[in-house]
Amino acid sequence: MLLVARKNLFAERTRLAISVGGVALSVLLIMLLLSLYRGWDEKVGGFVEDSEVDVWIASEGAKDFLAAASLLPAGGQEGQTAASFLDSQPDIEAWSPLVVRQMEGVKVEIEDDGEEKIGKEMNLQFIGYDQATGLGGPLEIVDGEGDPTGDEVVVDEALRKRYGVGVGDLVKAGGTNWTVTGVSTGGDFVATQTVFVSHERAQAALSMDEKTTFVVVKMKPDGDVPGFVETVESADPRFVAFTREEFAANTRERILSNVIPILLMVLGLAFIVGLAVSGLTIYTATVEKQREYGILKAVGFKNSFLYRVVLEQSLVTGVLGFSVGVGLTIFITLFASDFVPQFVTYVRPVDIAFVAAVTLVMSAIAAYIPVRRLASIDPVAVFKA
Amino acid sequence: MAASNGVILGMDGVTKVYGSVDSATVALDNIQFNANAGEVVVIMGPSGAGKTTFLTIAGALLQPTSGTVTISGQDITNMGEKGLPDVRREKIGFVFQSFNLLESLSALENVMLVMTKDRAHGEAGKNRAKELMSIMGLNNRLNSLPKNLSGGEKQRVAIARALANNPDLILADEPTANLDAKRGREVMLLLRQIAYEMHKAVVIVSHDHRIREVASRIVWLEDGTFRSDVETAKDPVCSRVVEVAGAPQVEHIGVLFYFCGEQCQKIFQATPEKFSDAAA
Repeated sequence: MLLVARKNLFAERTRLAISVGGVALSVLLIMLLLSLYRGWDEKVGGFVEDSEVDVWIASEGAKDFLAAASLLPAGGQEGQTAASFLDSQPDIEAWSPLVVRQMEGVKVEIEDDGEEKIGKEMNLQFIGYDQATGLGGPLEIVDGEGDPTGDEVVVDEALRKRYGVGVGDLVKAGGTNWTVTGVSTGGDFVATQTVFVSHERAQAALSMDEKTTFVVVKMKPDGDVPGFVETVESADPRFVAFTREEFAANTRERILSNVIPILLMVLGLAFIVGLAVSGLTIYTATVEKQREYGILKAVGFKNSFLYRVVLEQSLVTGVLGFSVGVGLTIFITLFASDFVPQFVTYVRPVDIAFVAAVTLVMSAIAAYIPVRRLASIDPVAVFKA
Repeated sequence: MAASNGVILGMDGVTKVYGSVDSATVALDNIQFNANAGEVVVIMGPSGAGKTTFLTIAGALLQPTSGTVTISGQDITNMGEKGLPDVRREKIGFVFQSFNLLESLSALENVMLVMTKDRAHGEAGKNRAKELMSIMGLNNRLNSLPKNLSGGEKQRVAIARALANNPDLILADEPTANLDAKRGREVMLLLRQIAYEMHKAVVIVSHDHRIREVASRIVWLEDGTFRSDVETAKDPVCSRVVEVAGAPQVEHIGVLFYFCGEQCQKIFQATPEKFSDAAA
């Protein structure tokens, strides 16, 4: 780094602190928004992506996991026809019906006098799955048992974290008191969390006799997934089928498509704030040192040298601001979800690299106007006392 | 390196005109001037005479309208902005009235900063800067910031900086104007030492009467031309050198005193005894 740039920068520590603070704040905001987006993206699509289900079959009009306005036959004549059709497909390894419905529930504590103490309302993603195949069931059991029967449920660990629901507790939903027998991971959709019961019990609890929400299919390792999707859709126009990737993408889109424009706008504002703070401080620093830049010109330094001085000051400010901003981001994301459960973040190295590039661009732009000012300095002015 | 004939700064028929045809102002008019190695040339003249224009053209900061300027034998007249900074940095040392040190750099760093790459390399550059500071008597002020230096010390640092690249030509603009009598004299003697011992051409633009003491030659610039037939005197109030002809004057105890303007004349008249001894 050039001596003049370093000395100028560190001689005015208050200004440096303001400048670095401004960039750090901007970086923090950008990083938090990005990591929040990544966290939500991971959570919302993660369950579909991480399950063993290769193809999701729904009724026409439904296209994602969360808006499960799908109703498929799971019994009777139609159900048997569907089952025969699926059984006849050579590429299928296993299939099963899956009931999914969003509902509200509460944690219930029975007090000594027999009274029920009702906890806070929880948004649940109520899932009835076939335990024989396990398709669409809990991804991983981290506490208790994994195969709920009767009025037993397995809840996602996010429910335990947010509402203190654990093994042995009662959860009241759909008029039934469910006993928690296990805790699983991977079922946090940020706004809702999974609660798993057996498929038969879910049908009964939700009055969905001979009906189900989805049919989930696991293909053989060499099975033709796109071919099977096409076969399903051409067999009956009332049914649609999606590959795992399509279904995950659709699920993400439902939640994040409304969030992305807001995120982009705030990202833009954060960029402008950082640019304005670093630009203004670099500009005022340059104007204050205008006479000194004139001296340097007079004694034989070229404009390119002066540009480097300003650019280096701006870049060092940017690098310091970036380091502080990223450090703060990592610190905040470590603890934020403990205080605000919806604050689900995921800091990816590629995003850090992206923000580093954004900061460099910010610093370069911040130096542009001061550099233009340098070009117009007349070195003859230094002869004036 | 000095030109073989000893001429460091040469100006031949240099004219500088500011403005366009209707509002043209002639700042320098067909100037002939040489400054040789080993001499101190002092340029004096009234305000608006063209001294700053002379200095900026000599300092490769401004191009003349016509005429030729050479420094150490190199014609710089038509050199573009790409080449002139190198000439300024390598061939000319500047000493300014208001010192013009960089405030965030120490005294030593101010000297090292201007060194060209071949001189600034590693310890050699630092040693040269220290040597120059030592010549200026500033061994104990190497790491001081300019704000902690006296005026005289600042000007000595500025002179060390001017010598950093061992240039042939030193241009000094009112080098003693911001210094008291003692510090001003020290600086004058240093400039003379530089000319005589280091064999540089030192060109000083000044109003200060005291600077005559170190001059090898004094030239009078007025209305853009050098005049040789000028009788000058020292203003007893502000110590400026003034041209006798046309200057306000006062006779006191049989001696004629000349002034740069009415203000100094009035001050003198209020308490002449306060100034007449000094003038003598």
